[in-house]
Amino acid sequence: MQLQLEYFLLLAAALFCIGIYGLITSRNAVRVLMSIELLLNAVNLNLMGFSNFLDPDTIRGQVFTVFVITVAAAEAAVGLAIILAIYRNRETIDMEQFNLLKW
Amino acid sequence: MDFSSNIATQLNAGAILPEGIVVVTILLVLICDLIVGKSSARWLPYVAIAGLLASVAALWLKWDATESLAFLQGFNGDDLSIAFRGIVALSATVTILMSVRYVEQSGTSLAEFIAILLAATLGGMFLSGANDLVMIFVALETLSISSYLLTGYTKRDPRSNEAALKYLLIGAASSAIFLYGVSLLYGLSGGQTNLDAIATALANGDGGESLGLAIALVFAIAGISFKISAVPFHQWTPDVYEGSPTPVVAFLSVGSKAAGFALAIRLLVTAFGAVSEEWHFIFTALAILSMILGNVVALAQTSMKRMLAYSSIGQAGFVMIGFIAGTDAGYSSMIFYLLIYLFMNLGAFTCVILFSLQTGTDQISDYSGLYQKDPLLTLALSICLLSLGGIPPFAGFFGKIYLFWSGWQAGLYGLVLLGLVTSVVSIYYYIRVVKMMVVKEPQEMSETVENYPEVRWSLPGMRPLQVGIVVSLVATTLAGILSNPLFTFANNSVINSPVLQSAKLTQPIAKAGISETSDRPIVQ
Amino acid sequence: MNLAEGVQIVSFGILAALMIAAALGVVLFEKIVYSAFLLGGVFISISGLYILLNADFVAAAQILIYVGAVNVLILFAIMLVNKEEVFKPISGRWIRKAATALVCVGLFALLSTMVLATPWNLAAPITAPESTLILIGKHFFSDYLLPFELASVLLLMAMIGAIIIARRDFIPDIEAASSDQPLQTVWRLPERPRELTPTQGSSNQRK
Repeated sequence: MQLQLEYFLLLAAALFCIGIYGLITSRNAVRVLMSIELLLNAVNLNLMGFSNFLDPDTIRGQVFTVFVITVAAAEAAVGLAIILAIYRNRETIDMEQFNLLKW
Repeated sequence: MDFSSNIATQLNAGAILPEGIVVVTILLVLICDLIVGKSSARWLPYVAIAGLLASVAALWLKWDATESLAFLQGFNGDDLSIAFRGIVALSATVTILMSVRYVEQSGTSLAEFIAILLAATLGGMFLSGANDLVMIFVALETLSISSYLLTGYTKRDPRSNEAALKYLLIGAASSAIFLYGVSLLYGLSGGQTNLDAIATALANGDGGESLGLAIALVFAIAGISFKISAVPFHQWTPDVYEGSPTPVVAFLSVGSKAAGFALAIRLLVTAFGAVSEEWHFIFTALAILSMILGNVVALAQTSMKRMLAYSSIGQAGFVMIGFIAGTDAGYSSMIFYLLIYLFMNLGAFTCVILFSLQTGTDQISDYSGLYQKDPLLTLALSICLLSLGGIPPFAGFFGKIYLFWSGWQAGLYGLVLLGLVTSVVSIYYYIRVVKMMVVKEPQEMSETVENYPEVRWSLPGMRPLQVGIVVSLVATTLAGILSNPLFTFANNSVINSPVLQSAKLTQPIAKAGISETSDRPIVQ
Repeated sequence: MNLAEGVQIVSFGILAALMIAAALGVVLFEKIVYSAFLLGGVFISISGLYILLNADFVAAAQILIYVGAVNVLILFAIMLVNKEEVFKPISGRWIRKAATALVCVGLFALLSTMVLATPWNLAAPITAPESTLILIGKHFFSDYLLPFELASVLLLMAMIGAIIIARRDFIPDIEAASSDQPLQTVWRLPERPRELTPTQGSSNQRK
């Protein structure tokens, strides 16, 4: 018995679904951001799995992962800056309270 | 060392000269602002505009370049990408024209605004030519993250914060979903990230029709539809459009959307060529929903920005007809329409900005009787709106006719008929605004218009706004009557792009004989 | 099954269980601080999985960037918005949660069917490259040179933008008072919010 590609892909799929669940049900804006990080990590796990099992000579997936990590860090910084700004104005980070813009 | 000398000959770095100019402009803007300080706001916008125009000129020089692939096939600078990069750069230019006064009046600092806008432009331009999954992802995120920042730029306003937060969360989630699809694509192709290599690998492999490819396709389309705000991925659009600074909205509705369409063409036509019937089907559904929902909900809006938001959803639906047609005429009608849409939509937004700067409101009912107070604004806004509605002889009419004609040629009868019906609906809400401005008697003038102050063009930042209005007015009026050069340009950019030409052979929908009739479809 | 494979399988099992448990904790815990620390747990176990996948450099980068930067940033943000906030309960919320959970389970079923049904064309012998670092470096300076350079612009803009938006800047009173605009328009949209516009009617609130 050896480690199979499928194990990693299934793990990534599970993490992705947990991230989606957190994304939709969270009321705390910071937690929504954390769920997005979970989603990106699921993608990374996918890429790394493919990179090791399908593409071990050129490991393009690892390079892709490094880019995803970079972008995720930038996205987190921007997201938290926006959350800080909205907290200063509204004194809350409850997603249900953000309803100034409604049709 | 042999590695470096090997690489240097293959880079063909000249292909990204236009983007290089934009990068230099970003640095210039940031450094000048740092050194000179606040007084640099007087001339920095002009530096940025000069940079963007130089970049457009450089694009012009790259037209029909013999060697279009650059950076070891990571970037494709063919004529198709040049058309889209030109659209993105031009939309940024007009956006800067209209933003000078707006940003100044909202009290925020102009230099950073321009720098972030330029970064978004850079992302859009790279996205239009990206030929590699990694490149697509990084360019897409450069565009997206800059857009989130621009959306939240008026940070003291709770609406702007809220718009930015919604945009960021929905956008980041959709790009994560897009990325999941892309990672599946990497796996299915056996470890390729280059779009052409993926297409070859998928065509050779037996997994062409597999479930994995279908899921990758759906996830990728979800990410793209978010960028072009096609229904049902449009929920962010009205909220973000209402809450963001208006120049940003203008850029999002034109530049960012054009980049999204470029991504759609390149990714779907190249990498997903094996499942082209499936994605044609999905896009047909998206186009139908977008045209119906965008145009019908726009009827009920009372805020000008929200109305333009829904109308832009509907317009994206029209553009998708050309994409679904999948013929030479279809693609070139997309480019033609986007070029015209650039001027008419940005013109409309410039007028909305001028009105809101003068009065501080963007309610449609407040526009009533504007004709008596400001004829130029009324004229410009009316022409832009009528053109958006597709009334002859303005440019929008010819753009729409060409889109519908190419769709009809490709056999999309139902879609074209629906497009005709919904554009009649759209004429109703555009005309409503025009009627309100022009026809109202003096005593029916709204309170806001009665207090309408004299436009002081001499104020700093008003000149560019005026130039923006006049340029888009002239372009919208003349592009209809003198559309031949634009038309040839759009047509050539499609015919000269090997990506679309090779894809067409494999596509079941492409019918023989279309390319021969690619003459002027409209008899004047 | 030799010893090395056994160790690999066991450590994979432990890391996977840790990761799933921590990820469930992130989305399910009421207290946001617990979630933040558990997020660190997710990142660390994923880094362990990367080592199982022969990726030493990326595993280190995962720890450095995700745990060292992103997670710490999230903790800082939680401290900065440090208010014991009891969210107003909304009736029928559990229905939405249950529906979402159902959808997610369905999605997982779909994705796992896809994973198991697709014939991945595996590379025959999986040989770990002797140094991933050299390979990644070569990629950065050959076929991924352009995204690598573009990422620098992206990071620069994210930094500038985040500073601008998060900075607590004082409004220059003198300047605002001397100009013809009222003070509260600074840093705001010029359009009035809808509540203040005189023509606002109930008609624009659909339903």
